[in-house]
Amino acid sequence: MTVPLPLLEIKNLTKSYGAVKAVADVSIHIDRGEIAGLIGPNGSGKSTFFDCSTGLARPDAGTVILDGQDITGWSLNRIAREGRMLRSFQKTVTFKALDVEENLIIAGQMFTFPSIAATFGLGKRSRSRIDGLRERARELIKMAGLWDVRHQPAGNLSGGQQKLIQFASMLMPEPKLILLDEPMAGINPKIIERVVDTILYANRSLGVSFLVIEHNIDVVTSICQRVIVLDQGAKLVEGLPHDIVQDQRVREAYLGG
Amino acid sequence: MSLTETVQQARRRDLRIPLAAVLVVIALAAPYIGSRYVTHSLIIALIFMLPAHGLNLLVGYTGLLSLAQAAFFGIGAYTAGLLAVTYGTPFYVNLIAAGVVSGAIALPLGIPALRLRSTSFVMCTLGFVIIGQAISKNWVSLTRGDMGLSGIPKPYFELGPLSFSVSGTTNFYYLALAIGALATFAAWAIVRSPAGRNMVAIRENETLAESLGVPTWHYKLIVFMLSAVFAGIGGCLYAYYLTVVSPLTFQMYYSTTMLIIVLGGGAGMISGTVFGSLLFVGLTEALRITPELRMIAYGFCLLVLVFWFKKGFAPLINRFWNVIGGVK
Repeated sequence: MTVPLPLLEIKNLTKSYGAVKAVADVSIHIDRGEIAGLIGPNGSGKSTFFDCSTGLARPDAGTVILDGQDITGWSLNRIAREGRMLRSFQKTVTFKALDVEENLIIAGQMFTFPSIAATFGLGKRSRSRIDGLRERARELIKMAGLWDVRHQPAGNLSGGQQKLIQFASMLMPEPKLILLDEPMAGINPKIIERVVDTILYANRSLGVSFLVIEHNIDVVTSICQRVIVLDQGAKLVEGLPHDIVQDQRVREAYLGG
Repeated sequence: MSLTETVQQARRRDLRIPLAAVLVVIALAAPYIGSRYVTHSLIIALIFMLPAHGLNLLVGYTGLLSLAQAAFFGIGAYTAGLLAVTYGTPFYVNLIAAGVVSGAIALPLGIPALRLRSTSFVMCTLGFVIIGQAISKNWVSLTRGDMGLSGIPKPYFELGPLSFSVSGTTNFYYLALAIGALATFAAWAIVRSPAGRNMVAIRENETLAESLGVPTWHYKLIVFMLSAVFAGIGGCLYAYYLTVVSPLTFQMYYSTTMLIIVLGGGAGMISGTVFGSLLFVGLTEALRITPELRMIAYGFCLLVLVFWFKKGFAPLINRFWNVIGGVK
């Protein structure tokens, strides 16, 4: 029997900024259908690790293999478009001047149009593609509970609502894997529940796998099947959420002991 | 409640067609309403509207501030001038050639320039205008240097058995109007396409657009080239109208004029650019009657713009469209 390939496999990823080794020789894998957590104290290299895995930054060494394909060195847009691995940002970002529906349509465009040239079309084909996207956008808007504000500019909405827009946008292209960078940071508990629900819905109903950076330990233990802990740029330990919380090394890392 | 709203909307929407009809009639009748000087001012406004449309795609929609428009305007003017004087090719061939050559030259210029960020990019585009002027002054064997290219014939059409020249201010006005209308339609089509949405996404947040699969680098390069095509076509028309091309076509003043049209008229709006060209170019041409007051009046207009209309006329135009279009 062959062991199924992991969805994402990152081997020996290393990235330095000057003399500082932000990420040192980290290897992880994400299985299909899994929700994995990535935790660690501030400055432990989580975000750099994300940036290097998704093409926003170039790793100094190491390989990133997505679904059996080596995507090391691919640009952010290509990894999103061809790899269907999407990421969010720590700071909530939306297209603030555009309404919620347009935000989602933009998120789907490059996955529906076969080429850049095709996006300049105004014909029937182009219109029906956009209509299809609008329909999907509306479904996701309903699911995210943003129906009433769908025609409002994203910039007018609360931080939590913008998080939901960002989240719904990432679901537009039917992604395989989503990397979330602190999805719960700075939003009120009510919206946290809604974001958790959306993650679970996407995971169970749409088959999306997740890697989540999160400081809220309750959220991590409730949604993640496996947790990876980074400390000072290196992998400290990985395991079941329950074991991780109890782990002495993890406690020491967080307490700086 | 909802019924009356619908009725009101329907009644309001009707206004767009009559308005369009009135505008078309005014545009067509303009040479007969105003003096020849007015017609001349309108021609200049229509010519500058072309590079302004291109610049609007770049500044207003994609969020890239460029001062290179005068360079591509000049390249278009020289391309058309050289072809017309040296080879005597018909007008429409030169018009297309001017657009194509400008667009093609924008490619090698855009590749390094677009790697730069904000201010550096602006400085770099400014450099293109200066380089363009230097080349046109010094490559005497091709451009005849400061003497310029003179004797550009009247726009000459050769369509099968039918061939004719466009002569006289009135006829040139109709030619410029037709090309201006086509360019406006082209710009409208570009921004209404899905690509136009991607352009706005890049303007709003480039990294976010990138993370959603938009190849931002390719779009920026394409839009930079498209803006040059618009400018080149405008330059061709300019060359034919003046019948002379000189290194003065590469002027920083032109780049800033085009920028004022776009920002003042309302960046990110096609109608804003049309309005802006009429206001800022038509007005300055009209003010030539009082040369001593012209630049003072112009400067004063800019001050008013900066202090009271920070977003140009865009909010006003928007409100106007909403009123006649029945939106809200």
